[in-house]
This record gives sequence, C-alpha cells and structure tokens, in this order.
Amino acid sequence: MSIVKMQKLDLIGFEEDKENIIKALMKAGTVHIVDSREKLEEDEWNELVHSENAEELIAEIDEKLARIKSAIEYLSKYSTAKKALFAPKRKISEGEYNTVRDSESELWKVIETIEQYNHELTGLKSEENALRNLISSLEPWESLVRPLEITETEKVLFAIGTVPASVNIAELEQELEGQAPESFIEVVNQDKNQLYISVAYHKDISQPVTDFLKGIGFSGISFRGLTGTASENILSLNNKIKKIEEKREEIHNKSKECADYIAKLETFYDCLVIERDRKKAMGRLLNTQRTFILEGWVPESEAGKIEKLLTKHWDCVVDIRNPEKGEDFPILLKNNPLVRPFEMITEMYSLPSPNEIDPNLFLAPFYFIFFGMMVSDAGYGILLSLITGIVLLKFKLEGLAEKLIKLLFLGGISTLFWGAMFGGWFGNVVDVITQGKFTIPPIWFNPLDNPMKLLIWSFVFGVVHIFTAMGLKGYLMIREKKYLDALFDIGFWYVFLLGLCFLLLGGNIAVIGKYMAIAGAILLILTQGRSKKNILSKLFSGVLSLYNVASFLSDVLSYSRLLALGLSTGVVATVINTMGSLFGFNPIGIILFIIIFVIGSVFNMAINVLGAYVHTSRLQYVEFFGKFYEGGGKPYNPLKIKTKYIDFTNINKEA
Amino acid sequence: MQDWLASIFNGNVLALTGAALAVILAGIGSAKGVGIVGEVSSGVVSEDPSKFSQTLLLQALPGTQGIYGLLVAFVILNKIGVVGGTFQNLTMTQGLLIFAAAMPIAIVGYFSAIYQGRVAAAGVGIIAKKPEELVKAITYAAMVETYAVLALLASILMVFGIKL
Repeated sequence: MSIVKMQKLDLIGFEEDKENIIKALMKAGTVHIVDSREKLEEDEWNELVHSENAEELIAEIDEKLARIKSAIEYLSKYSTAKKALFAPKRKISEGEYNTVRDSESELWKVIETIEQYNHELTGLKSEENALRNLISSLEPWESLVRPLEITETEKVLFAIGTVPASVNIAELEQELEGQAPESFIEVVNQDKNQLYISVAYHKDISQPVTDFLKGIGFSGISFRGLTGTASENILSLNNKIKKIEEKREEIHNKSKECADYIAKLETFYDCLVIERDRKKAMGRLLNTQRTFILEGWVPESEAGKIEKLLTKHWDCVVDIRNPEKGEDFPILLKNNPLVRPFEMITEMYSLPSPNEIDPNLFLAPFYFIFFGMMVSDAGYGILLSLITGIVLLKFKLEGLAEKLIKLLFLGGISTLFWGAMFGGWFGNVVDVITQGKFTIPPIWFNPLDNPMKLLIWSFVFGVVHIFTAMGLKGYLMIREKKYLDALFDIGFWYVFLLGLCFLLLGGNIAVIGKYMAIAGAILLILTQGRSKKNILSKLFSGVLSLYNVASFLSDVLSYSRLLALGLSTGVVATVINTMGSLFGFNPIGIILFIIIFVIGSVFNMAINVLGAYVHTSRLQYVEFFGKFYEGGGKPYNPLKIKTKYIDFTNINKEA
Repeated sequence: MQDWLASIFNGNVLALTGAALAVILAGIGSAKGVGIVGEVSSGVVSEDPSKFSQTLLLQALPGTQGIYGLLVAFVILNKIGVVGGTFQNLTMTQGLLIFAAAMPIAIVGYFSAIYQGRVAAAGVGIIAKKPEELVKAITYAAMVETYAVLALLASILMVFGIKL
C-alpha cells in the first residue's frame, strides 16, 4: 500500500563488541547498513576515523567459496539423490551447523581430493582425445602390411600419403610406369575426398618420382615414433584407451564415495557466505582507535526492537530518529498479498524515490485487466493458472521468481474472465469438435463480430488509465501544497479532455461536452503560460499547451493494442483448430488433430502470454508512469543471513 | 491479350496476392529480425550459457510480426471463403480493396520486425552485462512493436470493413 517509513539508526560502540553486534544485527535481519566510507573523503572526518580494510579478506573468502562451489558441482554429478528444479532449502539444526564448522580442516581435505580428481579427469580426457585422433589418422592405413617405421631398404624408398580423389589411379599407374619403371604404386584406401596411396621406388629414380608425385598433388604422411603396422598400432592404442577408461572408472567410483559430503560442503559454503557478508558489513563502518560508528536504516516498526537489543547487551550509544526532509532512505514496499506480485513490474522499472508514492496499488488492477484482455482466451487462462498454481503449491519460491509466477497466476484468472466474456475457449475448439453443432456463446460479445465496439472499449480503458495517472500527479502536487498547480495543470485538463470525450459520444451529452471543452480550453489558455513574464508570451504558450491534446490522443490510441493482441490470440487459435480438423473425422484424423491442437495451443499461449506481459508492461511504463512517476529509489537491503542451500530450523541463527 | 490481363488481374487473384504478401513480407521481416537477435545471442551464450532463457525471450520478440501477417492472411481467406466456405467471385474493386487492406501489416510488419530485431539485438548487450535489466531491454524492443500492432489493427479493421 505504501512505502515503509524508515528511521535512521546511528550507533557508536566499542571496537571489541563490533563483531558480536554485527552478528546480532544480522540475526535480526532488519537493519540496512549505510556505507559510511564516503565520509572519509571529507578532511574533518578523515582526521578522526578510518575504515577497516576488509577487501582482501573478502576476496580471500570469495576464492574459497568458488572452490567449494566447484567441488559441490563436481560431486552433484555423483549424488544419487535427485534434485528438483526448485528444491526447497535444506533445514538444519544449529548443532549440525556447528559440527560442520568444526570439521573445517577435514572438509578442505575433501575439497583438495576432489580438485585432484577433477584435475586427473581433465588430464585423462585430453590424453584420450590425443589417442583417438591418432587412431583416426591411422585407420585409413589399416590394410597396409608394411610396418610404419620402415621408410627405406638398401635399394628402395617407400612413401605413403594422400592424393585428391579426383585422380584416376589407372591412368596414374600407366603414367608412372612410363616415367619411372622401377616403381610401384598401390591404393591402400579411399574416401570421399582423397585416395590413400603407398608408393615404392628405386633409390636411383627418386627425383623423377618425387616430381611426378608433386605434379598429382601428393602430400606425404609420416608416423614418426610409431613401430609396427598400422593395425598393430591401432590395437595397442585402443588398449591404452581402455586403460584410461579403467582409470576413469576408478576415479568415478572414488568420487561416488565422497558424494555424501555434498550436504556438509553446502553447509560449509553457506557458513562462509555468512562470514563474508558480515565482513562486508564491517567494512562499511568507521573506526576510531577503540570505537566504531554504524549508520543504518530500520523500518519504523522494528526500530524499538533494535534499540532494545543493542542497549541490553552492550555499552553503546544508540540514536534513532526520523529522516530529515529530503533525506534519501532505502525503499521497502508493503502491499497486500494481491498487489504484491505487481510490485515486480515497478521494481523492474525503478523503485519510487522517498518523496513519491508507491504506485503498485493503482497499477495492479489495470495490469490485471489489460493482461487478461490481451490473452483473452478462457482455455489458455485455465491452463496458465493451473500450471503456475501447481508450481506455487509444489515449490517454495522466493523473491522475483515468486512474484512472477504469482503475477502469471493472477493473469491467468483475468484471462479466464475475459476469455469467457469474449467466447474464446481454446479459440473455437468446441465448435470444431462438434462440427458446428455446439458453440460456447460469449457472455458479452465476440470481438471478431464487432471489433469496433471493443476498440472503443479499449480506448475507454485507456482514458481511465491515463486519468488515474493524472490524478496521482495531482495528488502529489497537493501533497507538496501546490494547490493551484494541481488545479491548473490537472483539474483544467480533466475538464477539457472529459469535454472532448463527451463530444465524441454524441447525443445530449455532446452539448455538455462542447461547453466543457470550450471552458477547459479557455481556462488552459489563461493558465498554462503563467510562468512566462509578459502577457503576450503568456497567452502564446497557453494556446500552444493545447497541442498536448495530440500527445493525449496518441497515448489513448496506444491502447488499441488491447484489441489487436486479443484478436490475434483468437484468430491464431482458430487457425490451429482449422489446421487440425483438415484431416477429417477418422481415427488418424483425430490423432493428428490432438497433436496439432496440443502443440499449437501451447505455442500460441506462450507467445501470447509473453506478448501480453511485454505490452501490458509497456502501457504501464510509458503511458501510465510517464504521467507522474519518476522512480530512482534505492532498494532496502538489510544485513541478514542470506543462504543458498540451508535454512536454520531454530530461531537462534548464531553464525 | 486483354482477356489474359483480365484473367490475371481479377478480384480473386488480387485478394489472394494481398493475403500472400501479408504472410510473405511480415514473415521475411520476422525471420530477419529473429535471425539478427539469434546471431548476437549465440555470442553471449557462448560466454555464459545460463543467459539462454533471457536471450531467447528477446529473440522471440521480433517474431510476432510474422504471426500478425499470418493472422491477417487468415482473416482475408476467411472473408473471401477460401477457408471454411466457397471461394467467392470477387469484382476487381473488391479484390483491390482487400489487397489494400493487407498492405499495412505486410509493409510495416516487414520493416518493424527488422528494426525490432536490431533493438532486441542491442538489448542482448544489456543482458550480457546486466542480466537483471532484462525488462528494460524488452521494453525498448516493445516500443518498436507498437507500430506493427497498429498496422495489424488497421489491416484487420479494413478487412472487416469491406462489404462483399
């Protein structure tokens, strides 16, 4: 409903209590600690205080964390326990936690072993690759009976190599015979690209033979260091690979034995994360020789508890006060559960700054309505809510993911509503299946029959949305006690724009609209130039301001996407159903229909949900927020225990 | 000669050409747009495979124009009875009207898909550095899509408005 009020916390305590105080605050999890280090840039502060240089220590812990993490990732391949996609955090008691902490040296040994295994496996892998490459280069020569190391005898030279496959070997033999009779050429193997040939020739004619070979594109191959025939070599290489596989199997088996350590390593990981966060927090404080200064923000409701906690256990000075006017405090939003998912849309844009209002309460209903209108198919709505509902029930989600899934769940309900209003149930699937005997009639009307009607309604929703935004702008002005500005800039525009809208409706109301529009226009001309000095430029900018009607108009027209995207869902669904029913009403036809229907519907739903999400967000960001909202607030990020794998069962989260 | 020309430029051929162009041009545009984003995304994913889903989301955005083109074609085919009815004999004027109605989504769809693809590809750059800002990248791309939506709307309203 609003931005939570924050109170400033200033704390001065003794150096020796620092660690414990930070621990206690972390456990409380409600204090947003301000980075005080920027004060050091001012000379008068710099002379008095210094900050603890924690960067090195933090980097060290980060490095450890990276090692533990890769060990966990390595072991999780061997873990027999299946991990779900959104597995909840493991609950552990404090006793278990402490034993893990105490066994630190043992855990490091495990990690080192795992790193060793990993290293060995990488080594084996590259060794195996090298062997396999060698085998594949030997394979073409498998039928060559001459051992590879023999390249010459007393009188004869041997060569092996490849020539392009385009060479005609019969012609070649004849040609060679003519040029150098004391020679012999043999095709050992051939594939798509080249011929593998072996040549033997007398030493005396080595020159003409090499020239000849060069002429036909021969490229020689030698297997240096290998002895025996190619097939013998392949055999022995395969044996080596087998040995590598055995070694690997051995390492795999040993790794499996370590898999039980995953749980402990995970706990250890989180334990170090907590330590790092604490160090980070401590790095933000300022120190004198014997004391430290902590600045932070606490939600108003928690401030008392924090003060009590601090003064009860330690000798320290605690000062809690309301923020001064214009002082920036971190933003925490508090909304009822139905509005909460929509906070995501605002968070993605920008959090409100402290002197703004939380727009979510106003954003939520419009987002809900627009999302449903854009997807507008009851079948897809049910499907979407069903899927997201199951996810919500089965998995414990947090943060953004939770909000997104809840948003889609609500969007599904809205989609169901609008789909029923417009008569879209998986397009016209009932109609297609019953071959036109039965159709689900729309509760309101079918946009395909009367698109203009829905277009006008889209514009009406748009006008209401924009007017709401203008109203919020007016509210902000009134809150800042700019009453006249609110009247001139918002009130008169309301009169003018409403007049124009009535004018469009026609009938009796158009007459009222006409006078409202004229009155509004005159008032705007008189007031909009009020910041200008001379009377002529006042009037001129007053008249000019009426040009803003154009921007209002373009904003409203932008809502035509409600109709366009809504229609597109229905029509594409119809296309899918039509395509599916092309094969007729027979067993094969029915199976094909089901396949096409299922794949097509899921695809169409996914595309449309994405489209609805994108375009509804755009309407909020550009048309709605553009009128009144600036954002720029910093998120409230309290010092608390943020773990990845574990949760503590008891409240006493001593770290 | 005249007969031959008349047989080519009759109403039915013109209407079908319009429907075909809606699919062809918007489809080519989407293919280009999706292609551009895909190329850039592959680069980012080769560095960090966990960004696959985010880049895929951006890649899907310029794909909608092709769907809009198909949609308009279907509405036209439905109108002239190729789908779910008998193919009506259209006059030359009726054919031209339908052809004209297909033009907004055909032309705007083609260009907007390519430009949207370029914006989305630039958005992949945002994802590479700041994955948490995905929505901003999406919003930029959605700004371009507006004009495809408007063209779609114009095409549909025109087709619905033509009396046969």
